[in-house]
Parts: sequence; C-alpha cells; structure tokens
Amino acid sequence: MSETILMTEGLSKRFGSRWAVKDLNLDVRAGEIFGFLGPNGAGKSTTIRMILTLLLPTSGNVKIFGKEVRGHRVEILSRVCGIVEKPDFYLFLSAHKNLELLGSLSRKVTRDEIYEALEIVGLKARAGDKVKTFSHGMKQRLGIAQAILTRPDLVILDEPTSGLDPQGMKEVRELVLKLSREHGTTIFLSSHLLTEVEAVAQRMAVLNHGELIAQGAVSELLSNGSSYFTISATPMDKALAILRRVSWVEVVAEGNGIDVRIDSRRAAELNRLLVTSGIDISAFAAKRTLEDYFLKITEGASEV
Amino acid sequence: MSLFAVEIEKTYRRWRTYIGFAVILAAVLLLEVIIKLDEPQMAHAFSGGLNADFLISGHILNAWVITAFIMNSLYIHVPFLVALVAGDMVSSEATSGTLRFMLIRPPSRAKIITAKFLAMIFYTASLIAFFGILCVGIGLVFFGGGDLVKFQPGLPHIVVLPAHIAASRTGMAFLAAILSMSVVGSLAFLFSTLVDNSIGPIIGSIAVVIISFILGNLPFEFTESLRPYLFTTYMGIWQLLLDNPIEWPIVGKYALALIGFDAVFFGIAYYVFVRKDIKS
Ligand SMILES: Nc1ncnc2c1ncn2[C@@H]1O[C@H](COP(=O)(O)OP(=O)(O)OP(=O)(O)O)[C@@H](O)[C@H]1O
Ligand SMILES: [Mg+2]
Repeated sequence: MSETILMTEGLSKRFGSRWAVKDLNLDVRAGEIFGFLGPNGAGKSTTIRMILTLLLPTSGNVKIFGKEVRGHRVEILSRVCGIVEKPDFYLFLSAHKNLELLGSLSRKVTRDEIYEALEIVGLKARAGDKVKTFSHGMKQRLGIAQAILTRPDLVILDEPTSGLDPQGMKEVRELVLKLSREHGTTIFLSSHLLTEVEAVAQRMAVLNHGELIAQGAVSELLSNGSSYFTISATPMDKALAILRRVSWVEVVAEGNGIDVRIDSRRAAELNRLLVTSGIDISAFAAKRTLEDYFLKITEGASEV
Repeated sequence: MSLFAVEIEKTYRRWRTYIGFAVILAAVLLLEVIIKLDEPQMAHAFSGGLNADFLISGHILNAWVITAFIMNSLYIHVPFLVALVAGDMVSSEATSGTLRFMLIRPPSRAKIITAKFLAMIFYTASLIAFFGILCVGIGLVFFGGGDLVKFQPGLPHIVVLPAHIAASRTGMAFLAAILSMSVVGSLAFLFSTLVDNSIGPIIGSIAVVIISFILGNLPFEFTESLRPYLFTTYMGIWQLLLDNPIEWPIVGKYALALIGFDAVFFGIAYYVFVRKDIKS
C-alpha cells in the first residue's frame, strides 16, 4: 500500500443549519487517480474548497503530504494545484498572461513552461488571445493548464469535464491518464459521472448528502454483492412468472427486457433455469455495474 | 514577479482603470480652455478687482493659480474616480471567480490583501499625480508661471506665494491630496472585501463620502461635535499647504488623522479577508 498523500479527518462544513459535508475521512494515496464521486449538491466542491483553504472547515482537518495545510501553507500549496468549480480567468488578459500571473504566485515560471502547459492542453496556438474569446471547453482546458503549470505533485480537479462535449470529455480523460502515467502526479478528480471515474480512477470515494458512502478500490467496490442483469426473453409473461417464483431473484423492472437483481455468481444458473423451462433467451446481459452501484447507494441514501 | 507587481499589472491592464484618467484629462483640458478663451474677464474675476493694490509678478492668471482653482472645483468629484477602481479591487475577483484561483496558491491571504491594498494606493497616487501634472502642464503652456494668489474666506483674505515657491507648494498640496484620497480608496477597498459585487462598494463609499461631507458642513451643535470623527473633515489638507506660512501642527494633525483612517479601514479589510470563506 503506497503512502497517503491527502487525508481528511472528520472534515465537516456547515452552512447555516445545513451540513454540506459531514465527518468526511478521505484517504488518497501517492500516484493514484482518485475518483471523488457524488451527485449534484453532494458536497464535492465544498470538500475541495476546504482542502485548498478557500473555506474554513466547521470541524476536522486536512493533511497533505503528512502535514496539516493550515500551518504549512507555503510548503504544501506550492506542491498542490487544481481547479475549483468552473474555470474562471481574467477575461481581459491573454491565456499566456493568465498563466504567467497565476503561476507566478506559486513560483517563478518561464515562458517555456507556460507554452509547454498550453501545448499539453492543445491551446498553444491561442496563447496570445484574450480568454474572453474562449469557449467553455477551452477555458476548461486552460484550467487544467494552470493546474499543471508548476508541475505539482497533487492535482485536484473539480469536475474538469463538466460542460464538455463527448470528444472534449475523452480528451480530458486521456490528459488525466497521461499526467498520471508520465509524471506520476497524484490526481484527485471529482465527478458526478460514474463512467468517468470508472475509466480513469484506481480508487474512489462516493459522497452523497455530504456523507461518505463508500471508499476503496474501484474494482473492489464493484465486485461486492448482487448485480443487475437485463434479460430479453420470449415469451415474456412466462419468463416473468418463473423469475418471480425464484427466491434469489429480484425483478426490478420490466419493459423491453426484464431487469433483475441477483448474485452475479448465479447468473449462469438463472440462464440455465430459464432455458430448461422452455424460454428463449435472446439476451442476458450484465448492466453497467458501477452505475448500478452508484445509483443504488445514492438512492438508498436519499431515502434516509 | 512580486505579488505587488502582479496586482499592478492586473490593475493597469483593465479599461476601468483608465476611466479616471480620461475623465480628469477631459475636465482639466475643458476648464483650462474655457479660462484661456475668456482670459481677461477671468483675470478680473479672480482678482476681485484688487490687483491695483498688490504687486503681483507675472500674470494674475498663471499655472499655479489655475491649478489651485481647478483642484478646488474638481476635488469633490475625484473620490468617485478613486472608488471606481478601489471598490473593485477585491470584489471583481470574487465576481469573476479568479479569487479561487489566486487563493489556492502558496501566498497567504494576508500577503495578497496587502499587495492589493498597496496597488490601490499606487493607483490613487498615479491618478492624483496625473491630475496635478496635467493642471500645471497645461497651465504653464496656456498661462505661464507667476505668483500663486489665493483668495480665502478667513483672514488674511489674500495669500500670495511668490513664484519661486509656488511650484514646490503645489507639489506638496498634491502629495497631501494623495493622502486624503487614499482614505476614500481604503474605504471603498474595505467595502470591496465585504461583498462579491463591485457596484455596492463604489456606491457605498461614495454615499459615505457625501453624507459625511454634508454632516461635516451642517451648522448644528451636534453635527459640529461629529466633525473630528469624520474623515472628510481632514480631506481639505491640501489647502493647508498653500497657506503662508504653513501651519505645520495642523497639517500634522490632519495627516495623522488621515493615516489613522487608512489604517483602520485597511485593518478591518485585512481582518475580514483573512478569515473570509471564499464562496464565489
Ligand atoms: N456558499 C454556500 N452557502 C450555503 N450553502 C452552500 C454554499 N455552497 C454550497 N452549499 C450547499 O452545500 C451543498 C454541497 O454543495 P457543493 O457545491 O459542494 O456540491 P457539489 O457536490 O460540488 O455539487 P455539483 O456537482 O453540483 O457541483 C449543497 O447543498 C449546497 O447547496
Ligand atoms: Mg461542484
């Protein structure tokens, strides 16, 4: 197990009488891409704001590189950077100038470093243009450029693909993977998209209503317990009747196909049972497990 | 690049910063042209027909006289131009969201707010210096030099500063004006740390300036007792430097009061900013 790079201990934030984040214990390890998953309003940005010292926690603390951020600000924050919420820049300045000014707050940055960062995100040709003229996707990429400009060891990205088209999302994901692979940068990536976390992250935490619901290796979180399958069968009504009778099958939905929840190890057994009962099976497919997992836990939590 | 340099660069790369300079350029130019066009009549009006009794070297209407006159008439309007930039110093970054990007980097908030404050003072100084240089520059071209003759309500009614000290006195008056305008700037700056929009701090600080000017000039016992506590009371400090001789104890008292207001406004801004939750 590699060393913990970012740790939050009982991190909580209250706005008025509402807890936006409550008793959050995160554990992000060196070199990994850590997915921070949660639906809108879960408290992802609030958590990131606390990690990056924009908000003062109501209680709890944040440790990065083993030290509390408060008290070791310069030392820690010169090795950390990121994007919080949407990428906002000085619109009246060029992309290059924005990076120069923001980067210079961390350390002296050279022209070459600025162009390199812009090159990585594919904005080199627009370096001299005012950010005013940039599309949302370009600003999002410029956000990533400013986050990686000073080559931090930990990069925190708050929904870096939000508002991007599919191609843009893919590019950002590839960029994140590349950063992690080529520079060994630890990346903390928040998202409300499971597919995204699944595509890039090794470990993740799931947040809902400000509370941690699960944390661990993405693969482990997936393999626990039952899974969802969609079955296309003829005749439908007969298949349904059989499925309803089997005690270890839960029928969750019926439509074009039948959605069931079973222990994934019994999938073959169920298939055999239906076939031997004279049902024609045209499809028997596992649904996207992480998505189900996510929906399940967030739905479960919202009932509380 | 130092934090101060970063703030200066941001400030002077914005259009808004030049509004003040443009307004002053237009106003000073306009006034001086009008005076020039009607010079003989103006000269008479200025002297109040007294020039027969005094020996005044040079033109009665000269660069120094005109400068003092213009400063007197525009002084009440300059706070607006100062507030326009000072009131936007912090809040514009909150509005635009760039504060988030600044404050996740190593420099402490204490350093950032101090750099911003110094940049605001620098802007104020540059605006007033521009005002002064422009008044005197155009004045010298249009009217030439001479004695600085000043008419005032109290005794003596007429102050004559000989030509050889008029320049240095005018310079000192503008330095004092920078100090007094910095208080307006500090107030707008303070308001700018309290809210996330720029209209509020600008209107707010101007409202305070106007109300406190009015309060300070009301002839009631109560409002008179308020006077020492109003910063506007001390904003006329520049006029003291055109007296002959200069009453240094009063100048010192005024200057200290202005510095005190600066310190209080900045102190509160600092306190607020360092603890503020950045929600924008
Ligand atoms: N400044 C604020 N004042 C009051 N409540 C706030 C504030 N900022 C956030 N909240 C509340 O805190 C909760 C978490 O918000 P947060 O922005 O952290 O969610 P998020 O997970 O980032 O959501 P999204 O995916 O929409 O970005 C929400 O209920 C929100 O209403
Ligand atoms: Mg968010």
